[in-house]
Amino acid sequence: MDDRRRRFEAQALPHLDAAYNLARWLSRSPADADDIVQDAMLRAFRAFDGFRGGDAKAWILTIVRNCWRSAGTAQKRRGHISLEEQNLIADDNPEGSAIQAGTRRKLDALVADLPEEFREVLILREMEDLSYREIAEITGTPIGTVMSRLARARAIVRETAKDCL
Amino acid sequence: MTCQESLRTQSYLDGELQGAEAGAAERHLETCAACQSLAAQTADLSDALRKTVRYRAPDSLRARLTAGLDRETARKPVRTFWYGAASGTGLTALAAGFALFLLLPPSAATLAQSVTDAHARALTSGKTIMVASSSHHTVKPWLAEHAGISPPVNDFAAAGFVLAGGRVDEVAGARAAVSVYRHGNHQVDLFAWIDRGAPLPAPAINRGFRSRFWKSGDMDFAAVSDVDAVAFEKFIALAQQQRE
Repeated sequence: MDDRRRRFEAQALPHLDAAYNLARWLSRSPADADDIVQDAMLRAFRAFDGFRGGDAKAWILTIVRNCWRSAGTAQKRRGHISLEEQNLIADDNPEGSAIQAGTRRKLDALVADLPEEFREVLILREMEDLSYREIAEITGTPIGTVMSRLARARAIVRETAKDCL
Repeated sequence: MTCQESLRTQSYLDGELQGAEAGAAERHLETCAACQSLAAQTADLSDALRKTVRYRAPDSLRARLTAGLDRETARKPVRTFWYGAASGTGLTALAAGFALFLLLPPSAATLAQSVTDAHARALTSGKTIMVASSSHHTVKPWLAEHAGISPPVNDFAAAGFVLAGGRVDEVAGARAAVSVYRHGNHQVDLFAWIDRGAPLPAPAINRGFRSRFWKSGDMDFAAVSDVDAVAFEKFIALAQQQRE
């Protein structure tokens, strides 16, 4: 395997789960998420010579989001498939898992139903632990907009999830 | 009930504020009931989201991606060593010279240094694991696919060394498969690479990391960790007993 491929894999593959998680939440469909991530990773590989170090995770997620957006409206209209649990990262704490199953399903549905611009900031902040600046970069929006969308997204979920939080 | 300062409070809670800004937000939070309630609810929501809903890429996607990258790599012929050597200028020539150097087996000192460096580099960058799994059925094939080497991988959880995953790394210029174990707060890396006839270093402690090398079959192995001497010996005994 050549060096470029090896360097790419060392930089990009650690973020494959993050890429998939974002694609999955944006598309709300396992099949679409697969296609988006595959497309994004191959595009990233082709553009890898232009990547001069720095934040590989933000770079990969930006490409994932662009691929999702350019995938067109056909996918978006398809409607989402209910989210399976098999691909969720297992809870480290098995004692809590029975209680959490119900909560998890409700939260899944709530987050999946958020409008896209709120959903993406919530995923990037709460699941991928990215800073406002990174989220602004990935979504191509000013930091102030990231802040207000995040506040709105949290408020919606808090409001609708009152009984399960 | 929403406070005008709620966005600043949110930034503070998200760890986005520093110094005086953070101080001001903290003082406000001490006296504002609306922001206190916001803080509590935001924390609950974060906990709930973090525990429940992160997807991981399915193995089928990983396989598909590898195939896709194979096609990409095959499409564009890579400039060869001789192209670089013949062009004779600048970085390409330097790289060519380096490649030639890498064909020679490394010295024991280079190996010892390289393995400790790789371990320390992984720890500092936080990228110690590329495939996270406590199942050798997952880690072993992943290593075979990505490192081109398939060393024995076993979970030693019963003995206190929990298999946490694997990664691809580099030891003295050669690809190495690394199985990553957790022992309390410590990490033990078990490196494996193809034996190139290099003499192996003696047991050593470099920068606080113990290292131990051995050969088995056509592979060289190295264990590196900052666990105490007794635990390290125990791990090495387990690792050396592994069979396919």
